[in-house]
Amino acid sequence: MTFVHQEVWHWQIATYLFLGGLGGATFAISAIIHLFEGCDRKMLSVAIMSSIAFLVIGTVFLLADMLQPLKAIYALTNPRSWIFWGVVFINFYFLSAIVYVIPLLETWPKLLPLIKRIPAPLLGLLERYNKLAALTGSAAGFLVAIYTGLLISAAPAISFWNTPALPLLFVISGFSTGAAYLLLLSTFSKNEGKWKITAKLEELDAILIVTELIILGAYFNFAFFLPTGARESANFLFHSPVFIIGFFISGLIVPLAIETYGIFFADHSKKSESLLLVASALVLIGGYLLRFYVLKAGVFQYPW
Amino acid sequence: MARYGMVIDMRTCVGCQACMVACTAENQTPFWSGKFRTHVEDKEQGIFPDVRRTLLPRLCMHCENTPCLSACPTGATYMNNDGVVLVNFDRCIGCYACCIACPYDARFPYENEDVNKGHELYGKTVTHDMPHVDKCTFCAHRLAENREPACVSTCPTHTRIFGDLDDSSSEVHKLAASGKAQVLNPGLGTSPKVFYIPS
Repeated sequence: MTFVHQEVWHWQIATYLFLGGLGGATFAISAIIHLFEGCDRKMLSVAIMSSIAFLVIGTVFLLADMLQPLKAIYALTNPRSWIFWGVVFINFYFLSAIVYVIPLLETWPKLLPLIKRIPAPLLGLLERYNKLAALTGSAAGFLVAIYTGLLISAAPAISFWNTPALPLLFVISGFSTGAAYLLLLSTFSKNEGKWKITAKLEELDAILIVTELIILGAYFNFAFFLPTGARESANFLFHSPVFIIGFFISGLIVPLAIETYGIFFADHSKKSESLLLVASALVLIGGYLLRFYVLKAGVFQYPW
Repeated sequence: MARYGMVIDMRTCVGCQACMVACTAENQTPFWSGKFRTHVEDKEQGIFPDVRRTLLPRLCMHCENTPCLSACPTGATYMNNDGVVLVNFDRCIGCYACCIACPYDARFPYENEDVNKGHELYGKTVTHDMPHVDKCTFCAHRLAENREPACVSTCPTHTRIFGDLDDSSSEVHKLAASGKAQVLNPGLGTSPKVFYIPS
């Protein structure tokens, strides 16, 4: 038996996985908040536009890592491949996001002349079906976020990746980074009612971090008790100080502590904003480190 | 229509690596980057004085249930009518999903630098004229001319036995069905068409 670290997917793919999860989740959470809570349309449009930007940048990283990126359209050929479905999900996402965000952009006076160029009947349709676009968009966002985990779990000889726990971990972590990013954005909002949304996001992120910790526990328990490449991977991660300190402590435990303090003890005010900023930034950095290190820990188990 | 396969008799392999050289010459594999379509794995096992050396020639297993083919989004990886797993260079986008999916380390990227070096070395006869992910083809171009793969015809110890697994009169069929031959990683359910007789 030989264990060999994979050498083909590096930080570029980690960036793509991170931005895919972040972009998908930011859209999904924003749309759900819009549907069930209602919120500042200006901030909502910023959130959606930035989630589109995350996906665009992520896709650029993916393409840059390919040997022949100009032929990427061929990726829509084999439905047995997860990449095929990734392309479908991402396009579905872009379509929903654009349809959803156009009516929201009317809140920006500088963009009004541009919006007004859209034929009135079409704009009317977009406004009428805005909530439907929010619903389909949140589904698309979820699919993009979970796809990032499904993509790398299709590796039969990398037992640390080839498990149902990985897509689950990536989707929960993706939603946690999405909630953290929105929390970060909410601190910049000047809207009076923003604290209600901030409090909701804080609670959501804390719940997601706890869920992530439970999944991580189950995942590492599985990895350590099997005499396979998964154990090698888990050992590698346990001996990586940046993974332990950067992701586990700074990216999960510290933000969870800050958010728990925020939920139970802090009165939401300007004063607590800096704490929220720190917690959100830590979750985002942790989310990137998780993907970077999971890729790094991909160990092939060869039979020779 | 055949179902080509190979039996590797590890009892006779002497590790001369002639198969690697023949494959490299035949298929212009980028030896300058240390990439080969076939390797001879040289393993020392055990603790002194109870030690042994194992030579394991390896290549693409041309699996029946092909993880690389499922992972390839573009259809660049395909199986021909003879059960040989091939790559259409023109279709390959080089996303590496197949490299990640392959449980036998049988694939490698033929990168831009390799293509340039190939042009420099082989001139007009170059066969890899664009970047792609590369792998063993059982020398499909030779099979089309009723010739054996280069590694098989070169092997001086008759370690590699090649033929149609469905032809009950072929040596490869008899050996594969003898019970002595095993596949690598049978638990993965890939059903390889390369079998090994352990030493």
